[in-house]
Amino acid sequence: MAHGHVELTQEQTVIPQGHPWRTKLPLIAGVIGVGGLVLSYLAVMGHVVEAKAFFHSYLTAFLFTMSLSLGGLLFVLIQYVTRAGWSIVVRRVAENAMATLPLMAILFIPIVLGLHDLYHWSHHEAVAHDPVLKAKAGYLNEQFFYYRAGGYFVIWILLSFIYYRGSVKQDKSGDKKITRRLQNLSGPGIILTALTLTFAAFDWIMSLDPHWYSTIYGVYYFSGSLVAIFAFLSISIIAMQSAGLLEGVVTTEHYHDLGKLLFGFTVFWTYIAFSQYFLIWYANIPEETLWYAHRSVGSWQKMTTFMAVGHFVLPFFYFLTRSTKRHRFALLVGAMWMLMMHFIDMYWLVAPSLHHEGVVFGLIDVTTLLGIGGLFLAFFTWNLRRNPLVPIKDPRLQESLRFENF
Amino acid sequence: MTQSLAEKYRPENLEAYDPIGGRHPLVIGGETLHDITELVCRPIERKTPKAWWAFFLFSASLLGIFGMSIAYLFWEGTGIWGLNNPVGWGWAIVNFVFWVGIGHAGTLISAILYLFRQKWRTGINRSAEAMTIFAVMCALTFPGIHVGRVWAAYWMFPIPNQMGMWPNFRSPLLWDVFAVSIYGTVSVLFWFTGLIPDLATMRDRSKTKIKRIAYGIFALGWRGSNRHWQHYEVAYMILAGLSTPLVLSVHTIVSFDFAVSQLPGWHTTIFPPYFVAGAIFSGFAMVLTLMIVTRKIFGLENIVTIRHFENMSKIILVTGSIVGYAYGMEFFISWYSGNPYETFTFVNRAFGPYAWAYWIMISCNVITPQIFWFKKARTSIPILFVASIFVNIGMWFERFVITVTSLSRDFLPSSWDYFSPTIWDISCLVGSFGLFFTMFSLFVRFLPQVAMAEVKAVLPEADPHYHPGDAHHAEAEGAH
Repeated sequence: MAHGHVELTQEQTVIPQGHPWRTKLPLIAGVIGVGGLVLSYLAVMGHVVEAKAFFHSYLTAFLFTMSLSLGGLLFVLIQYVTRAGWSIVVRRVAENAMATLPLMAILFIPIVLGLHDLYHWSHHEAVAHDPVLKAKAGYLNEQFFYYRAGGYFVIWILLSFIYYRGSVKQDKSGDKKITRRLQNLSGPGIILTALTLTFAAFDWIMSLDPHWYSTIYGVYYFSGSLVAIFAFLSISIIAMQSAGLLEGVVTTEHYHDLGKLLFGFTVFWTYIAFSQYFLIWYANIPEETLWYAHRSVGSWQKMTTFMAVGHFVLPFFYFLTRSTKRHRFALLVGAMWMLMMHFIDMYWLVAPSLHHEGVVFGLIDVTTLLGIGGLFLAFFTWNLRRNPLVPIKDPRLQESLRFENF
Repeated sequence: MTQSLAEKYRPENLEAYDPIGGRHPLVIGGETLHDITELVCRPIERKTPKAWWAFFLFSASLLGIFGMSIAYLFWEGTGIWGLNNPVGWGWAIVNFVFWVGIGHAGTLISAILYLFRQKWRTGINRSAEAMTIFAVMCALTFPGIHVGRVWAAYWMFPIPNQMGMWPNFRSPLLWDVFAVSIYGTVSVLFWFTGLIPDLATMRDRSKTKIKRIAYGIFALGWRGSNRHWQHYEVAYMILAGLSTPLVLSVHTIVSFDFAVSQLPGWHTTIFPPYFVAGAIFSGFAMVLTLMIVTRKIFGLENIVTIRHFENMSKIILVTGSIVGYAYGMEFFISWYSGNPYETFTFVNRAFGPYAWAYWIMISCNVITPQIFWFKKARTSIPILFVASIFVNIGMWFERFVITVTSLSRDFLPSSWDYFSPTIWDISCLVGSFGLFFTMFSLFVRFLPQVAMAEVKAVLPEADPHYHPGDAHHAEAEGAH
């Protein structure tokens, strides 16, 4: 009985020759990316902006893009560990987001170069006069920072490589053993990713204010990354379908699930953000409240309020109904909003350690975002061309194609 | 091509369910719709077995001990416990948090697993929900009795009075009253809603008038009509949606009891998600302990299968690892903070006078569940049973470690003291198990402990595209 089996055609699974997603998009994104970075570089060299300002903007854009790559890796690992069936048709897109990790490793270099402009603890003379920094110098020192960052990237790239290669190999062989192997690896993979992501969040973001500490910080970046990846997956798949790709492969049912997860993790992010804020506010210990005090000065206060409304209240009611999640345009609008909010979140984490007096959002923030984001998109779309857009021989593909919410 | 159901479920025919060894049928042994009703109802309908009496009387005796301890507590006051000056909050709060935590599995299984389309939950949700309600009852006892002046316990509620006395609305202890009582109420509603069709089944099968009336009252006139089912499904979905944030909120607020303070070891931002994960962890362990026993006694092996246990052990592994992550973060940040009080607290936990409790906690909560990385352990009943009990022990000790180690080391070293429980501390804890097991034994005796209607809905026969002649459900599903 072969009925019920959905056979995918070539047009459904690959980007056709001459299609703009194959020819133009990687190029355009690449030009924007390089242009953005060159402009930012010129701005620093021409003393239009201070190096310090540049590096903070760069770090913001880097963290934002990084959460898409890491979110992709987490998404893929979670699908394997839960043996999910519904998500097979969208998994390749996430795999391509994850495959940008080597690029992100290269884009980390400027942060190394700007270490002294970003991190107060990296100055020996500052540490020498600060007993708290002296106490944590065993962790917060330049050398160990580099080793750790190197370690994170090695683990992430290795994992993404294993998963990408396994998935692509299965496209040819259809070997079920690959799925089994990747499933078995996914548990330890998640643990490794969770730990490295946590310490990366401590190193790269939390240590911007080296006196401040919060045990939930790793979970905060984790939850933001998941919001970002579900938003990104929704946007890119809707864009692909509008361009005539993945026709009849991804359906309303898959959008519905992506929307539900985006909604769920938006609430989860709120839960984590609220837990951190609330406990610090309530206990009112100066060494902790200082971090929030920086974010309650002048226009920062407005942005903090905007975060609560824009990252939680509005999307909560927007995504609550079934129809927004099942309507392509409505989901697109919501997902773009969440992606924007995630960027604002990253900005809100980084920028107050430079601009104490209020929000200073300048052109440099735009050019660095275009730079890193453009290169990310170029790499992402370039990867999309190389392999089928869905894991065509995944053993659970049929289940995913026929998937229905009820 | 006609094929018996038993034939259909032979291992070599299971391939079609999932190509890589997952998605096995949830009910095994070829049980039909009617078989399920028989399997679940028969133990309730037959004459009370002696073993049940033995267990019931044993539990009721423990409950009696609880009653006596509480009576003596009311007579003498909280001085009968081992509380001392820095440790003013002892086993009462430890037991409260322990029981509330256990009460998390039921509603998680019914609500969150429902939203995640985890159909295997149908085999265990009824017992787990019942367990949740009994655990919440045990939990609520402790704040009720530990107030000292028990005749003023109603002050916990914001009741208008001529003295103009109000509870402190900024206190997480008051939020606890709200959170736990709302959680208890919604859990009972959810449990009862799920019970209605099964109560109707019990009513229709009952042979005596008393039983028919008793089950009939609670079946609320259920006739199984299309309209009834539609309302039922909608109600169930709404309750699942409402329960989901509740499951998370209860232990979040319990964690606030500690975390809003300024005490090192209590005040740390990871507490809310860490407490929730720990609660789910202990709740699943308790479900596992109970189900391993009841499934055997009541012969439910085909409905509560080894795969159910495997799935539960995976959740225990995940949540246990999250708890381990939280311990690690606390420890790391206590050092990273550069705050000598933070560092001292954690070093004191691991190597101070309560090191024994700390290492019991670590070995039970972090190390024990790691055994579930292996399929052999996940499918071995003895290992599952022992590990689940270890987890429960470990989670009790976690609350003990958190509560007592931080309190016993005051900021002023001259106030330091060591907490030793008295016989009345122990009798209250043991007695609360009496309450729990008494309720649970009554439940398994009088109510269907498996959600029959829901289990039937996940049988292949329930699929609209099911044809009795088809070899495989998976193909039947694609027949449209």
